[in-house]
Amino acid sequence: MKEFKILEVKRSIFENNDRQADLLREELKKEKVFLLNLMSSPGSGKTTTLMKTIGALKEEMKIGVMEADIDSDVDASTIATSGVKVIQLHTGGMCHLDADMTKQGLEGLGTQDIDFAILENVGNLVCPAEFDTGAVKNAMILSVPEGDDKPLKYPLMFSICDVLLINKIDVLPYFNFDIEACKERVMKLNPKIQVIPIASSTGEGMEDWYEWIRTQVRQWNE
Amino acid sequence: MHELSICYTIVETLQEVVKENEIEEVEAIVLEIGELSSIVPKYMENCFPCAVDGTLFEKSKLTIEVVEGIGRCKRCGYSYRLLPVEGYCPNCDVKDFDVISGEEFIIKELICF
Repeated sequence: MKEFKILEVKRSIFENNDRQADLLREELKKEKVFLLNLMSSPGSGKTTTLMKTIGALKEEMKIGVMEADIDSDVDASTIATSGVKVIQLHTGGMCHLDADMTKQGLEGLGTQDIDFAILENVGNLVCPAEFDTGAVKNAMILSVPEGDDKPLKYPLMFSICDVLLINKIDVLPYFNFDIEACKERVMKLNPKIQVIPIASSTGEGMEDWYEWIRTQVRQWNE
Repeated sequence: MHELSICYTIVETLQEVVKENEIEEVEAIVLEIGELSSIVPKYMENCFPCAVDGTLFEKSKLTIEVVEGIGRCKRCGYSYRLLPVEGYCPNCDVKDFDVISGEEFIIKELICF
């Protein structure tokens, strides 16, 4: 019988990715690029919110967008009409992006003349929460029709985000969505999170969101 | 899908480990997965052969040790397994706890020649 030995590894399965993510953040800091990872379920209004945001901020800062999807370039084509730099990332069946894919995406986008890069992650509330993309901050959109119980169902996603946009508040009268209860659930998971109710289609609340971005970009470049 | 990419991540990490330790053959890979992590061990086992295909670990056995999800009640201090009672303390019926274990997601060890 061959002799064998037990090698203690004791490494977090995410360690590799976490390390790459930290390296990416260091590079972004040097290059003065603020990278935001935007996550949500499919249909929560990510692309609409993004289009409005670009329209409002593109005169103030140079914006670049990375659209991640399992397949198709529908969203990238929409964003391209806004006039900012955009590239499509295909995850090839994967349900999330990791730090390495994000790094490749940034290389494709070219960060030399970008102040504010946005990564539109795959529409999914589970897997993207597990993988640090290397973004400076994480944002998520929860829309009113999805229900105020989502923080209970996807606690990890809510606990890793720095800001939560509650979108489609213009349809609140038609849904049984309790903003205060939702906020309370979110704050319990993540006391530091900022919650901003918006309606990206009507523009309601969007100024608060723009202000959040301005502050973050400024602080990152200080 | 999720489990598959995690398997790839594991293979990447392990490739570093075997290089650092100059290992040529790995008999078994032991993972420690907490039952509160969002990983389904059965799916991991199914995805594993795909991720190790063509690597040094092609013939390695995958062993998953599941760690129980234990919480301590913030109100009465009682420690209990969370899943069977959906997080509610069996002692005072309150769902307010600190997680003590069960979120692990670790490559524990390699059994190698």
